[in-house]
Amino acid sequence: MSVVTAILIGLAMGFVFGFALEKSRVFEPGIIVGQMQMRNFIMLKIFLTAVATGLLVLTVMSLYGVKMHPKPTLAMADLVGGMLLGVGITVAGACPGTVLAQIGAGYKDAWITLVGGLLGALTFSYAEPALKPVLMSASSGKLTLDGLFGAPFWLVAVPLALVLIVSLLALERWRPWRNELGERADGVTSEALLLTESAPDQAHTVHP
Amino acid sequence: MSIFSFRRAAWSPYVAGVIIGLLQIPAFLLMNTALGASSSYVTVAGTLASLFDPGITRIEYVAKHLEGAKNWWQVALVVGIALGAMISSRLGGTARTGVSRAWGRVASARPSVRFPMAFAGGFLMLLGARIADGCTSGHGISGIAQLSVGSLIAVTAMFTGGILAALLFFRRI
Repeated sequence: MSVVTAILIGLAMGFVFGFALEKSRVFEPGIIVGQMQMRNFIMLKIFLTAVATGLLVLTVMSLYGVKMHPKPTLAMADLVGGMLLGVGITVAGACPGTVLAQIGAGYKDAWITLVGGLLGALTFSYAEPALKPVLMSASSGKLTLDGLFGAPFWLVAVPLALVLIVSLLALERWRPWRNELGERADGVTSEALLLTESAPDQAHTVHP
Repeated sequence: MSIFSFRRAAWSPYVAGVIIGLLQIPAFLLMNTALGASSSYVTVAGTLASLFDPGITRIEYVAKHLEGAKNWWQVALVVGIALGAMISSRLGGTARTGVSRAWGRVASARPSVRFPMAFAGGFLMLLGARIADGCTSGHGISGIAQLSVGSLIAVTAMFTGGILAALLFFRRI
């Protein structure tokens, strides 16, 4: 495939991705930080819905022999990198993909998050030859749950998708998504506003 | 109004989640890869850095992120995310200015605090994503959908790190 074709496909797919991220509000710092504070569950709802959909889509494709692309299992790198990524997501209020949606929607600090991200990727690139033997050497191959159980993909993927769907139904009963948006659809809900209206920067000292 | 109305400020998270999950179809069938976002940062940063330090392309890791259609597909994907979000926010009346008012609640919205935080957060996010070889998209949405054990570890660690950071650094709102 030519690079130009790949770029056109990427732009079209990204446009749909960005549209869905913006409409779902999951790119909002108030919703991402709210998820990490366990008071707003919109991020988890989208994430688990996308995973369940992916499991079913990949089940169909696996039956037609489409090749999967699981990443190599590097327990230490997954653990350390995953932790740093999580801390970064909370402090930035963004993920590597959603920061672009923040830029598109107009948030100014997202440009700085992007520059920080590019420098983070550059730092890793220079450090990679030194880090590789420490963090990324003991790969146990590309382990997957279906591989570990010796089962066909669908036999693990379909039940897992069903468990996720039932969990999402329960989550929605517990926390309806419309109540989590806030009046400006930024994840800042009105109770929070009531608490902090008088002194926005001393919210932690307000005890009603 | 239809649940798909472009003029609505917000869609159901379940509709959005299904749309994002369905994007795996063109990713696998047209591009022979899974959805991801964070390796595009290596492609862009490596390309920009090579203007000042041509030697960077001798790092095998950088070189393999600079060549081939797949890398530029992912760069186009993240550019497309910005364009899609821009159009959606204009249609939905949710275009933003400045910084999110959530920052005033959990930390501070002052530029002298928020901008260094945004920089540090972005830096840690990509440093971590590159160590783990994937982010919320590559490990999260795509990795778990492929039943990858490494992705399950990475996503568990990601939420653990994120929740701990929120407890340590932020006020509850």
